[in-house]
Amino acid sequence: MSYAIETFDLAYRAGKHFEIRDLALKVREGSIYGFLGPNGSGKTTTIRLLLGMLKPVRGTISVLGRKVPDEMARIMAQTGYVPERPHLYPYLTLEQAVRYHAAFYEGFDMAYAGEMRRTFGLPLDQKLSHLSKGEMGKLHMLLVLAQRPKLLVLDEPTDGLDPVVRRDVLSALLDFCSQGSATVFISSHLVHELERICDWVGVLDNGRLVVELPMQSFKNGIKRIRLSGAPSLVGDTPFVVLQRETTGAEQVWVVRGWQPPMAQWFQGVGASVREVVDLDLEEGFVELLRSSRAPVS
Amino acid sequence: MNGDVFRQIDPRSSIPLYVQIADRIRIAVATGDMPPGGALPSVRHLASQIRVNPATVVQAYRELEEAGVVESRQGAGTFVRELGEPKREAERQRLARRLVRQLLQEAAALGVTREDLEEALRVEMKVKLA
Repeated sequence: MSYAIETFDLAYRAGKHFEIRDLALKVREGSIYGFLGPNGSGKTTTIRLLLGMLKPVRGTISVLGRKVPDEMARIMAQTGYVPERPHLYPYLTLEQAVRYHAAFYEGFDMAYAGEMRRTFGLPLDQKLSHLSKGEMGKLHMLLVLAQRPKLLVLDEPTDGLDPVVRRDVLSALLDFCSQGSATVFISSHLVHELERICDWVGVLDNGRLVVELPMQSFKNGIKRIRLSGAPSLVGDTPFVVLQRETTGAEQVWVVRGWQPPMAQWFQGVGASVREVVDLDLEEGFVELLRSSRAPVS
Repeated sequence: MNGDVFRQIDPRSSIPLYVQIADRIRIAVATGDMPPGGALPSVRHLASQIRVNPATVVQAYRELEEAGVVESRQGAGTFVRELGEPKREAERQRLARRLVRQLLQEAAALGVTREDLEEALRVEMKVKLA
């Protein structure tokens, strides 16, 4: 298996209070990888490390099979990057901005850019300073997609955009993805949005990677289980217990790595399973963060 | 093809997206919304239209192909196969069983008993028949 992004033992420190530790990311080639985490968890910092804009205190990074930062120019030639706060010169017209951006990328596809511009309904002769936030969001996506990059790194690409614009921007992204085998690394705290498009998920909290899994295993593996007669002390379990609560005679456990035959384990400890509920990505995400911050004893 | 076929795809459901997409197509085929010989939307078009990972659409189409519901023709796309009446019948029964399975799961989650369900089914069917 080859990876579009791979980090090993990556560490970074900013001031006294924030650090990234032991970060080992593995982003498969051709995947759409959702990089989730609450605000301030280190998503943007990680992206900047990946693209050579910050210097790690330890660890190695490879992107598109090349070493960061030694081969940064070659990496960036094949990477479409939409930063958290993209910069474009506001006095350029849209047409000028496209030409300006195109000048930096050998494979820039002018015809494709034109096609997307029409789909998005963006006016050619408008100055960027006169574009709405939604129009700017579309333009940023247009510019990186028309590069026809091997890797897209998108830092909260739809943050602050209205639902209609978000939809258009994601449609364009997926249209591009179905044309080839590009890898997409997309960070967001908008969990729902990622749920339908990503096939891999990595969750970052407080500078540490809490989990990295295929989307389907992430969604299937986390369950809320209603029990009666559950033991108050948890010994060895065949699954990971994320959360336990007791309400009256009933206990509610949230577990990770659940498979149906594991119900037998509960019988073995004298408990009976009343119900196993699937959690969607957002609920799973929240439970995962709760437990990573306060591990169940 | 009716554009509403995929309207109710629910990414939050525990049913994998590719299964939901494949089911929508099975239903559209069973009801004649997608006639035999008709083309399915291209992977590119559908992925972008309903905003799902293209790999998910590919997986759905592959499952339908393995089940003999559609066939892919090299370079031309994916098409609904002509189904004989026995196959169509089998497909309807398969869909019916799946509906019942979903009903039973939801009922269990809501604490609805088997007797409640049987009674409700009798009542509802009578209403529909009358």
